Amino acid sequence: MFERNASQQAWRERILDFAASHINPLAMEREQTATFDRQLWLACGQLGLTGLSIPPEWGGQGMDAYTTVLALEALGFASEDPGLNFGIAAHLLAVAVPMWKYGTEEQHQRFLPGLCNGQAVGGNAITEETAGSDVFAMQTTATPQGDHYHLNGTKTYCSNGGEADLVLTYALTNPAKGFFGGISAFVLEKDQQHYGWSASREKLGLRTCPLAALLLKDSAVPVANRLGQEGAGGQIFNASMTWERICLGAIHLGAMDRLLKLAAQFANHRFSGGQNLSARQAVTHPLADLKVRLEGARLLTYQAAQQLDAGQRTGLAASMAKLAVSECYKHFCLQLMQLFAGEAYQTPHPVEIQLRAALGATLYSGTSEIHRNLVAREIGFKSALT
Amino acid sequence: MEDVKTTIKAFIQETFVADDQEQLSNDAPLLSSGIIDSISALELVEFLEKTFHFEFQPHEVDQENLDTITRIEAFVKTKKVA
Repeated sequence: MFERNASQQAWRERILDFAASHINPLAMEREQTATFDRQLWLACGQLGLTGLSIPPEWGGQGMDAYTTVLALEALGFASEDPGLNFGIAAHLLAVAVPMWKYGTEEQHQRFLPGLCNGQAVGGNAITEETAGSDVFAMQTTATPQGDHYHLNGTKTYCSNGGEADLVLTYALTNPAKGFFGGISAFVLEKDQQHYGWSASREKLGLRTCPLAALLLKDSAVPVANRLGQEGAGGQIFNASMTWERICLGAIHLGAMDRLLKLAAQFANHRFSGGQNLSARQAVTHPLADLKVRLEGARLLTYQAAQQLDAGQRTGLAASMAKLAVSECYKHFCLQLMQLFAGEAYQTPHPVEIQLRAALGATLYSGTSEIHRNLVAREIGFKSALT
Repeated sequence: MEDVKTTIKAFIQETFVADDQEQLSNDAPLLSSGIIDSISALELVEFLEKTFHFEFQPHEVDQENLDTITRIEAFVKTKKVA
């Protein structure tokens, strides 16, 4: 049911080779200096990573959601740069995919080729200082004036912020309606629209993915850059989050596969009290439990991706997959920190880098608490807050 | 089309109204009152699409179409005619 076909296997091997030759050699240095490498991004684009799910006529690889998951899983397994992995996934799932799904023919021609070939970096800007999990409490407005909208507001936590050439952002076009028909989506182009970025923010993890605030002050955006009809922004954002919640977690599944391999290698070669660590059940049983939990999270992800490909609404499946993967990833890294002990507490080390990345995974794309609320609602708890 | 209204009302009553004793009127505001929030709206949209066999366009998830049972019924009728 979840086998890889020949093409999917070939993609996996291509990504493994690429990560070994292009991503990993300087990954630790980039992580320590919080460096976004534009040339490396371009190389990722040339391989096809930045446009995996986009149809070939726009320069993408034409993968369905399930195949996208397999490709991102390979990237997470092979790449030692979780910030780059996250940046690519956010660019693809929260920017390129909604532009493909809801853009006009003219917008496809203008925006998608550059996003797919790595010439353009995509950024997603929705969160605001007072609108985090409740993104629809946003304050940013878009006021129509002639053939433009004038955008005013500040968007925080924009992934790829500062580096992004194309930014997908959301603003109120009808504050009275709010979420229900009052939010519209806009594409901002570097050097075309007047907007600014804050200084790049320092982060605990994912340090090679720049994060900045988008500053909009009377920023004039042509009507031609509105994505979808006026008022469609809420649903466009929801659709992009469904893709992100399902597919982005695949990089974490791959990372956990890699960590499990490292853990086995470590335990097989390490002795304590005259005994090999792999002979100690205190070491192996927690890891066996994590392996079981990992496979459960993987199945939820694959199942959600296949539902998405079948055209089913997958909000609940996406929430369950995202919750399972991100919480598993965090516990996985904490468990491995205990195993590797002092070795992994030194920086840089693959386990501490992944642990810092994993803490973020339970926060972005909806916190774990939000997803638990969604699942609780599905169970039938009518008053579960969202 | 009374059965459309009845079906919609029964779903909303059963799924979103926390107090089982509270009976919704057909013109009670659902969105502006908070009975249906942004997440519940997705459940409602999914229910309407599956039950009445049509697809919402993103801009149609709008207060004007979803704020009361009467409005929802009217919207469903336009989609079914189209």
